[in-house]
Amino acid sequence: MALLIFQRAFFCVAVSILTATQFLSAQTLTITEGVQLAFPGSIVERKTFFLNDEQKEEARRLAGENIPIDNNLVIPYIAHTDGNPVGIAYFDAHRVRTLQEVIMVAVDTEDRVIRIETMRFQEPPNYRAPGRWMAQFEDRKLDRDLSQKGDIATITGATLTARAVTAAVRRVMALHAVIDPL
Amino acid sequence: MTSSIRTSLIVPVLFMLLVSAVKTPEIVAQQADSVRIAELERNVEALARELERMDLGDVVVDLDSGEKGFGPAASRVYKIESGLSIGGYGEFLYENYAGKKQDGSASGKTDQFDALRAILYTGYKFNDRLLFNSEIEVEHAKEIYLEFAYIDYMLTDNVGMRAGMLLAPLGLTNELHEPPIFLGTERPLTENKIIPTTWRENGIGLFGETETTSWRIYTMNSLNGAKFSSSGLRGGRQKGAKAKAENFGIAARWDYIATPGLLLGASMYTGNTGQGAELNGSEVGGRVTIWDLHMDYKVNGFDLRALWAHASVKDVDKLNQLIGLAGSSGIGEAMGGWFVQAGYDLLRTKQDTESAFIPYVRHERVNTHQAVASGYSASASKDLTAISLGFAWKPATQVVFKGDYQMHETGTSSGINQINFVVGWLY
Repeated sequence: MALLIFQRAFFCVAVSILTATQFLSAQTLTITEGVQLAFPGSIVERKTFFLNDEQKEEARRLAGENIPIDNNLVIPYIAHTDGNPVGIAYFDAHRVRTLQEVIMVAVDTEDRVIRIETMRFQEPPNYRAPGRWMAQFEDRKLDRDLSQKGDIATITGATLTARAVTAAVRRVMALHAVIDPL
Repeated sequence: MTSSIRTSLIVPVLFMLLVSAVKTPEIVAQQADSVRIAELERNVEALARELERMDLGDVVVDLDSGEKGFGPAASRVYKIESGLSIGGYGEFLYENYAGKKQDGSASGKTDQFDALRAILYTGYKFNDRLLFNSEIEVEHAKEIYLEFAYIDYMLTDNVGMRAGMLLAPLGLTNELHEPPIFLGTERPLTENKIIPTTWRENGIGLFGETETTSWRIYTMNSLNGAKFSSSGLRGGRQKGAKAKAENFGIAARWDYIATPGLLLGASMYTGNTGQGAELNGSEVGGRVTIWDLHMDYKVNGFDLRALWAHASVKDVDKLNQLIGLAGSSGIGEAMGGWFVQAGYDLLRTKQDTESAFIPYVRHERVNTHQAVASGYSASASKDLTAISLGFAWKPATQVVFKGDYQMHETGTSSGINQINFVVGWLY
């Protein structure tokens, strides 16, 4: 009897939530929104860098862990405040399982990660990396600990996402070191 | 005087205009080159933007953003992103049994090499709020199962409704059982006999998460108590196949992520399992209640897990009579089990590779006859202790080769040791 009452209450709660919930905004961020999250109020300068084979090879070496780097083009978004550069935002597109994820990696002028943001995530939402997990990357430079073999934990239930994001951050930091946009 | 001044000004100006109008061929060529270079630069930049748009997608790239900075309030581009998602996993298992039991008698077990499972995940994202996800499994190379298939409807960014064939959200392995994810060639005994992995039934429920917690609560068609045995609840799974739905159960789970890599949680299930069966004119209830506490820690090369589970079954005497079980063959009234497991990646410091080599040890105990109904006897053979020593070698994160040696002991000295090898994958 108690179970029956519980089940009816469960359905009532489910229906109530369904009917009362206001849909929130879509989950995709634009480049503008991402950069303003990382560098609020800044003026942004977009640059384009073309990589030669030697630069790509150097980036692969720096990224390590067999992380693929096939970029011929790197586009940093350099944020300026009061005319001075305060950081750079990069955007990396990669596959998680079958579908694509785009993340922003924001770097300060001393080559440290200051923010990671999921811009677009097309796999089921329960595979999406939570913000608290992303915070592990903050204040880190490209070194051996910036790795799942190092200090970056995995995500229980979203192993492929954890691996894809970690690889993307290492790739971006390696490309950042190679092009030296400032 | 005035005319003289005018003349003195006009003449040099006219001369300069004349000189500037008469360009040398070199100047003309330089100006043409400048125009062409500027045009090429515009084209290269346009191509770079087009490549960026193709790489990141229309939705992310601001199509109207200028070259010299962004407007303060660029409008968001709403666009439905949808698509088919395909994944999968699988494992082949070789089991080599000892010729003798713990007490020295012949084990009678035949070694086995099994194409244990090959799975295809397919999902379809209709829009940002609505998606379908499924797992179709081929077991033992010939048995096909639908292991889960559900529709998720996101009510908010953090809360959703799920309906269809659902994985019971209990324990560590039932929902996450891809071979590269867990250590050990076989799933822990407690998550086989007490939490009957892979346990899936038809139902509906809610799920959600915050930055530090995640939860699920489902109502599902209950287990079928007429299929329980002295070895546990596993036979009671209906697997969604024309499932008897006279009784529903409630399954719930709550996990706390204390820090990235450390998960602490609990789960429970309760529901009658008689499924309308009657004995002597009265309906059999057969309520099953399962509790579980679990921990998973994966960071800095360590892979630690622990789980405790307990199950109780009401009306066991009636279920036993219904099935025709007697003596020490009856269903347990109380069952319990636990395991602790520890592994460490010996290749953790090797930075130029993603491969891992993880030796591990697991200690587990499970007893499906912790208590039995009055008039029945507990069998010591149901009190099983196992210690496993093994390794997992991952040449890539998504591929694993595992091997272990399992030492089994029972209260009747009927344990049979075994050596196992597994190759598994996930994509």
